Amino acid sequence: MGNINKKELFDLINQVSFMLDDITLYLNTHPDCADALEAYRHYKHIRKEAIKDYTEMYGPICRYDVNTENYWDWVNKPWPWEGECGC
Amino acid sequence: MWVYEKRLQCPVNIKETNAKLAQAIISQFGGPDGELAASMRYLSQRFSTPYKEVMATLNDIGTEELGHLEIIGSIVYQLTKDLSMEEIKASGFDKYYVDHTLGLWPQAAGGVPFNACEFQSKGDVITDLYEDLAAEQKARSTYDNLLRLTKDYPDVYEPLKFLRAREIVHFQRFGECLRLVQDKLDEKNFYAFNPNFDKVAPCVDMKKCK
Repeated sequence: MGNINKKELFDLINQVSFMLDDITLYLNTHPDCADALEAYRHYKHIRKEAIKDYTEMYGPICRYDVNTENYWDWVNKPWPWEGECGC
Repeated sequence: MWVYEKRLQCPVNIKETNAKLAQAIISQFGGPDGELAASMRYLSQRFSTPYKEVMATLNDIGTEELGHLEIIGSIVYQLTKDLSMEEIKASGFDKYYVDHTLGLWPQAAGGVPFNACEFQSKGDVITDLYEDLAAEQKARSTYDNLLRLTKDYPDVYEPLKFLRAREIVHFQRFGECLRLVQDKLDEKNFYAFNPNFDKVAPCVDMKKCK
């Protein structure tokens, strides 16, 4: 993901995830729309890479991706309702 | 099954507490047109709906509404975090405080508790989709009211604006679902046919009817 900082990477994850949320709803009622399918593929790839990078560098967003080496990190990282520090 | 992601669909970072705003915004947590009612409505209706596109739409919008419940909860939480006793008394938050302290509890702005009678799951896809279309508009109107109350507080205004826009998108998707369902019904019987029960309508064989 190049030289982007923690907040920028987190913002990117939120933005592409939202694109996928919106495209998913559209595809549910337009399942054969080629443009929407292409957009879905595009953002899915970006999201996958961004989440992989974020998880490796800053810790898990999803409980299936917790690194269990030393400590159960899932409880340590801030929760999103806590605001600014949430990323 | 759901898998939680440690992030909000739309970020919430509120710098100043404001118990007065929190008391209005909590209506979208547990009020009559709030996000909890929205999520429970769609996630309940999805089981018996007869068409796969509608099932997917109810499932995924119901899931998104849970994310919206979390955004509203975050707004209320951050607006009321570390309030002083003076602020609690001056803002009129004391009536909520006495029962819930600074905990989140699903209620309407007027104090009425969340109630499953705020939504319906009728087992009739036409009935349910009309309910869903109305629900999205009622929620949009509520957000319009909240936006008028919060226009001087950009930290609060922006996520509410995002949520209002989602009501409009959801209304559009439910409209498409209704169109899909109507296209599959007997045109002579557009609004009086429940595919869950009335599979063998009297005039299902058009040749015999003529």
